[in-house]
Amino acid sequence: MADEEEDAPVSGAGRGAAGGPGRGWVRGRVRVRCMMYGFGDDQNPYTESVDILEDLVIEFITEMTHKAMSIGRQGRVQVEDIVFLIRKDPRKFARVKDLLTMNEELKRARKAFDEANYGS
Amino acid sequence: MASSSPQPPSSAGAAAEAMAEAGEQGREEPAAATREEPAPAASSPSGDGAEAAEDAAVAAEGDGGEAGGAGEPKAEALDGEVRSAEAEAVDGEDPSLQPSAAKKVKLELKERKEKKHKVDEDEIQKMQILVSSFSEEQLNRYEMYRRSAFPKAAIKRLIQSITGTSVSQNVVIAMSGISKVFVGEVVEEALDVCEKWGELPPLQPKHMREAVRRLKSRGQIPNSKYKKIIFH
Repeated sequence: MADEEEDAPVSGAGRGAAGGPGRGWVRGRVRVRCMMYGFGDDQNPYTESVDILEDLVIEFITEMTHKAMSIGRQGRVQVEDIVFLIRKDPRKFARVKDLLTMNEELKRARKAFDEANYGS
Repeated sequence: MASSSPQPPSSAGAAAEAMAEAGEQGREEPAAATREEPAPAASSPSGDGAEAAEDAAVAAEGDGGEAGGAGEPKAEALDGEVRSAEAEAVDGEDPSLQPSAAKKVKLELKERKEKKHKVDEDEIQKMQILVSSFSEEQLNRYEMYRRSAFPKAAIKRLIQSITGTSVSQNVVIAMSGISKVFVGEVVEEALDVCEKWGELPPLQPKHMREAVRRLKSRGQIPNSKYKKIIFH
């Protein structure tokens, strides 16, 4: 999936230049668009809605990062801090636990696979 | 499977007992699952690793917990170190419990984990039945739902630009996962708003803003800009 902005290059470029770190960073409006479709929106969501959502996500990540920096080990963001911050939200908490568990399993599986390959 | 066979060396070499049966079942699953995983994991690029892992590891979902539980020592003997390990495993339980009571608690825990394992398997089967009966449009949507993700590089750049230091890969994984859930919450709420106002998708900015306002009042959107006054 290409990360380039396919739609309305005029507005995108203009905003990208003048918008500050928010706009230029999480490029790939295509991603958010696909995500909205996946979660129940129309197949072609409005560009303005996509923009709003993108801004929301950036703000969300920024807030979480700031909060994580202020607890636990100061100045650093660690997984434990994130887990602590979302402990009250059942969906997010379950999701993070699942993701990290699966990541561990994948790593273990890859390691075993590599070792098996290397041995033979 | 009723015979008590010795535990595999990965456990603490403890003696086998009634839980050997459950332990065996638990053992086989992770082994089988990890053998399955390398194939899809190797064939997909690491960028989509999380997504491919989902597909491969949906079957192995319950096994992470199961493997963790099976690793706990299951000894009957009253050695000092085994007792302390038992006390660890039975979180928060009084370590001075009678050995028989402690054993019962451990049995219960093991049964509960087994039940959860079976429930996960049922759930996986149900999901498979459900997905197989999707229409094409629903299949498309489901595929978008599973496959869409935020680019890890962009998230990492964003977090690092805020902290000023580098962050570990786990943090990026966790953060992108949470962001996706967050998007889902907003979109679902916006769809509720849209339906309530008697309008149709595609979602308009007014729906999104109303959704955000509702989520904020529920406290699901972090906002550290204003101090909350508890008693007005």
